[in-house]
Order: sequence, then structure tokens, then C-alpha cells
Amino acid sequence: MFFEMEHCDTYYGQIQALYDISIRIEADEIISIIGANGAGKTTLMKCIMGLVPAKKGKVLYLDQEIQALKTHQIVQRGISYVPEGREIFPNMTVLENLEMGAYTLKLSAKEKGKKLEEMYELFPKLKERKGQKAGTLSGGEQQMVAIARGLMLSPKLLMLDEPSLGLAPVIVDEVFDTIVHVNKEANIPVLLVEQNAYMALTVSNRSYVLENGVIVDQGDSKVLLESDSIRTAYLGK
Amino acid sequence: MLQSIIQLLVTGVALGFVYALVGVEYTLIWQSSGLLNVAHNMLITTAAYVFAGTFILGLGWPVWLGVLATLVVMFILGYLISAIIFNPLRSMPLTMYSIVGTMIFAKVINEALRLIYGPYTFTINGFMTGVIRLGNVVFAKAYGVIIVVAVVIIVLLQSFLKLTKPGKAIRCVSQNKNAASIMGINVDVSINVSTGLSCVICGIIGILVIPLYTVSLTMSNMIGLKGWAAGIVGGFGYIPGTIVGGLLIGIVESMSVLAIPSTYKDIVAFVLLIVVLLIRPGGIMRHRI
Repeated sequence: MFFEMEHCDTYYGQIQALYDISIRIEADEIISIIGANGAGKTTLMKCIMGLVPAKKGKVLYLDQEIQALKTHQIVQRGISYVPEGREIFPNMTVLENLEMGAYTLKLSAKEKGKKLEEMYELFPKLKERKGQKAGTLSGGEQQMVAIARGLMLSPKLLMLDEPSLGLAPVIVDEVFDTIVHVNKEANIPVLLVEQNAYMALTVSNRSYVLENGVIVDQGDSKVLLESDSIRTAYLGK
Repeated sequence: MLQSIIQLLVTGVALGFVYALVGVEYTLIWQSSGLLNVAHNMLITTAAYVFAGTFILGLGWPVWLGVLATLVVMFILGYLISAIIFNPLRSMPLTMYSIVGTMIFAKVINEALRLIYGPYTFTINGFMTGVIRLGNVVFAKAYGVIIVVAVVIIVLLQSFLKLTKPGKAIRCVSQNKNAASIMGINVDVSINVSTGLSCVICGIIGILVIPLYTVSLTMSNMIGLKGWAAGIVGGFGYIPGTIVGGLLIGIVESMSVLAIPSTYKDIVAFVLLIVVLLIRPGGIMRHRI
């Protein structure tokens, strides 16, 4: 088993946000979690990253329990999180932002250069912009910085939180193409949280449906895409 | 006339750099942890006592060794303060807790120093005394030392923040703590390190001002306040702005004796502060993110 959450409960103060969450990810999959605003999708990711630790339950990753670890220790184990709203470092250049993605790795200058070249190949725009302050970029470009920064870690698991949020439709396609590309070419499993349910179900292998902190449905994405309840609730058809 | 103007200018620049260093020192903590360290002037005083009272007069060590030992002590002190006091206060629901916390902490240091070193004012004879002569212009050696040391410290600090990995981590933490932690940065340790550095700068200030104010429990009250003013005049929370603000206050204050009686010198910084707050509340070098 590559990654598994078992019966996790999460609280914000006194208020319970997630109830008995169990998900699993295999080593080559794209998993998506869909649900409405406030369903707990971002909380689920923060729970995995130790930003809002699970009060009950286990998070198993490569046969180790990681639910009690601090965020930076989880990152050191190769889980990369691209947060909602990008959260890039606005006063640092694009290049510095990317370098910070590899903070926990001890790379030689040559290895770092190679890694950066890979990112520029994936996102040619970032090469033109590498000396620019990241805060001055457009929304789409900032999302590219956030994803590239996440990939700089050479992650074993990539978690993306709402990568399409606030982007123009053309750029949304581009971002999802990149996600699929990364999964296929670099063999990185991806956990994807999306409000854009159609996109999420199209690119992922399996999906979980989250409602008010509870997983209400799960299964093969293609099957879910055809199911009546999903179509009425999330696809508006 | 020209001579005395140049002399006043040198004095102003030197004091300006002292205010600038004070501004830099608390800005570092403000940026990294979001706390206002109200105890900062007591940390400056602590350094002066430790350096003069313990290492130089007490143990009779040479100045270079005393300076080194003081700075090491200050770094460790800062690291511990951050780990034991600041980091727990930071996660409290209101910033008020942390402000009161650092205020009480200042009180504790004050009384501890009084208990250890006694209530008397003292100084180190012959420490940074004498004059420097440049042509016709004569000024105190202490001012020259302050200017050189301050410039070196500012350059070193900026290079540390821009070029080294822990320095970049500090910048990340100051911009976005959540994002910093998902880069794999240990945010708590990074805040401990920046608080340690801040205390090292406090230590340098404390040693530099001994010849100007002698060692006493109230020695840093005025420079502590004017250092706050420097930050606000230049642009709060922004290191280059703080340096500009400090220099401006120092020079204007020093030059003011040409126009007003020198008894009123100390109010210049605060008048400047109020004027800037009225006209340009973000500070001279307003920093937009």
C-alpha cells in the first residue's frame, strides 16, 4: 500500500471538520476528491500535511504512520503540497520560489540547475520570468510557479489543491494537461482536490465525493461521471 | 561654521545608524514572528551589562574576546527567549497577550540586572574614547566606530538573508508561514534563529553605546524609542526603510541644534514621527507587497 488514511477525524478547535475519512492511493494513480465549497476538501489535504492534524485515525505512507509528524517532517519524506490560492512568496523572484521548493533536498549546483531546466521545459513562461518578483505575475503564471515549486521536491506524492481556481479556461486545460503529464512521465501519484468536478473526474482514475466532512461516494471516475446523483449534484446536468 | 556643520552631520549619521540598528533588530522579530518585542531595549541594556560588568571589568578579558563572548551569549539568550516565550505567545488567540508578555519580560530582565549588577551606573574607562581628526574636522572616535560597524552589520545581514539557505528560510517565514512549512522549513526553529540574530544586533548596539550613555538600567530607553520611530518614519516592517528612517532622524535631530535650543533635541524624533504619520502614514519608503 502506497498511501492510506484510516478513519481520520479532524477538528478546528471544538468544531469537527472531517468524520471518519478513509482513502487510499496506489503508486501510479491520480485520485480526485470532489465536493462543494466547505465540504472539507482543503481540510483533508491540511490533515495529511499535518497543518490541521488528525485527532483520531491513522495516516499511513510507505508503511509508516505519519499523522503525528510535523509538517516539515512530512515534506522531508517526499510529500509535496501545492496549496489552494497558490501561496507563493510574493517578494521573492520566480527562481528563488522554485529553489525554495527544493529546500529539504541537498542538491549540488549542477543537480539544481538540471531540476530547474526540467521545470522551465514544463512551463516555458517561467524561464522568461525567472528574475521577476513572483507577486507581480498573473494568476495563471503564479499557479505555474506553485506547481513547479511543488515539483522541485521530486515528490513521491503530489497533492494539488484547487489548481484551476480563478484561472481562464484555456489555462485550466494547460494546467490539467501538465498534471496528467507529470503523472504519466514522472510516475508521480497525484491527489487532486477540485471544485471543477467535470475536469477532476475526467483526468483522475478514481474519485471520492466529500459532503460536510463525510465521504458519501467513491469509485472509478468514469463510473462516477455517468452516475445520476453526481451528474445532478456536481455537473449540473 | 562649516566645520561645526560637518561635525554635527557626523554625529547625526552615527546616532542615525544606532537608531537604524535598533529598527533593524526589532523589524527582524516583527517580520519573522509577527511579535512586537517591547523588551528590545532591555536586551540592549543586558548586553551592555554582560559585556562591561562581567567580561571586561569582572573577568578582565580583552575587548575582542569580550565582544565575541557577549554576542554568543546574546544569540543563545535570543534563541531561548524565542523557544520558551515567543513561539508559545505567537500562537495565542490575541496579539495583546504577546505584547503584554514581552512587556513583563522586560520588567523581569530589568530587576534581574539590578539584582546581579546593583543599581549603580558605571562605565569602562578608555573604551572607544579619543578623537578622530580629518583635516580641520574633529569628532569622537566612538562615532567613527559606530558608523563603520553599523555599515558592516547591515551588509552582512542583507547578504545572509539574500544568499544563504537559512537566510532565505527566514524570508519565506516572514512572507507566509504556512507556505514556508510546506517547503519543509521548520518554522519554529527559523523564528528562533532570527530572534537570536536580533539579539546579537541588540548586543552590538549595547556595546557601541557604552561610551555615549554609560552602563545603566535606563541607558537604552531613549534609543529604544527612537528606534521604533525610525521604523515607522522609514516604513514599518521593511529593513531598508528602517535604515533610511534611522539616518533621517539622526541627522535632523543633530542638525536641529542650529535652529532650536539643544534642550529640545530629544523631541525632534517624535515630532518627525507625528508629521510622517499625518502626511504619509505608511512611512517614507512605503513597502507594498
